[in-house]
Amino acid sequence: MAYQQKGSSVSRWFFNLRSYKPHAGEWAWLLHRITGIGLTVYLFLHISTLRTLTQGEAAYNATAATFLSPIFKFFEWALFSLVVFHSFNGLRIVLVDFAGASRYHKIMLRAIYAISLLLMIFMAYLIFGNPFEVSELDSLTLWQWVQQLVG
Amino acid sequence: MAQRSTQRALSWYLQRITGVFLLVFALGHYLMVHWTESSGHTFDATVARLQNPIYVFLYLGFVLLGFYHGLQGIWNIIRDFKLPKAVYTLSAIVLFLLGAYFVYLGFDTVLSVESWMNKP
Ligand code: HEM
Ligand code: HEM
Repeated sequence: MAYQQKGSSVSRWFFNLRSYKPHAGEWAWLLHRITGIGLTVYLFLHISTLRTLTQGEAAYNATAATFLSPIFKFFEWALFSLVVFHSFNGLRIVLVDFAGASRYHKIMLRAIYAISLLLMIFMAYLIFGNPFEVSELDSLTLWQWVQQLVG
Repeated sequence: MAQRSTQRALSWYLQRITGVFLLVFALGHYLMVHWTESSGHTFDATVARLQNPIYVFLYLGFVLLGFYHGLQGIWNIIRDFKLPKAVYTLSAIVLFLLGAYFVYLGFDTVLSVESWMNKP
């Protein structure tokens, strides 16, 4: 394997990244970084758009309408893959570090990919299928739904 | 040097602990706002939730821990590169100020609900 000694640390980092074939855990590490950065960027955008709430209903609904277009629905669904992977892989990291679960880290990784896939399908059903929609105003929030289930 | 390594250990723990909280928040939030089309995208649904102090409290925690965890994570990534000291200092300042400002914005949005919930 070739090592690049010269150049800035940034270019060396990318060079090293390209010069080996990542194993399962290394892919997970890289994906965890990328998804973590993506979520942080999203959080900034999210707080900014929620700011229009303070301008009142008309302004906020105009913003929210954008997110109901098909392309944004797709983005929302794609964003969920970042949330799901980063969350469950984060949990795997915590279990390996705190619960001594390193022996199981590969099988956990497979479980994560499987769980992520299933949740992605479920989220696609919610976002694109919109199965529980009753009407604009008397639809249930998850909390009300849980209350109905329990009560 | 000992000082520095303790600080690192603390942030290492906090990254994991905040991560576990965010696991619950982020997944729960995502499911909730997508449960129906209107549950996440209408003014009324948001106002209705913000009437509930439990939601307000959860959101304050979500904003705070989200930015702490996210920006601490970015800071860890920056420290993986060997950069001039001035770049570290500058990025720490920028990350901190950005985070503080957006946490303020997020807090203000949910805490000022009474002042905007009746605006047309
Ligand atoms: C949802 C549950 C979450 C869990 C369980 C979790 C867990 C973790 C853990 C354990 C790390 C440390 C990785 C390491 O040091 O090797 C980490 C890194 C990171 N997380 Fe999260 N996280 C979660 C949510 C989030 C959210 C919502 C954001 C964005 C706001 C985020 C952004 C980041 C970033 C930027 C890193 C740095 C990645 C790196 O150092 O390579 N995380 N996460
Ligand atoms: C596309 C998916 C998402 C939608 C449609 C959405 C929607 C919303 C809405 C409508 C609110 C206002 C409160 C409410 O109605 O109950 C809110 C608040 C919030 N969301 Fe999201 N969200 C999404 C994804 C995320 C993700 C991935 C994160 C974390 C990185 C996040 C973090 C937050 C935070 C921290 C708040 C509280 C804001 C504040 O206190 O000002 N959301 N979200």
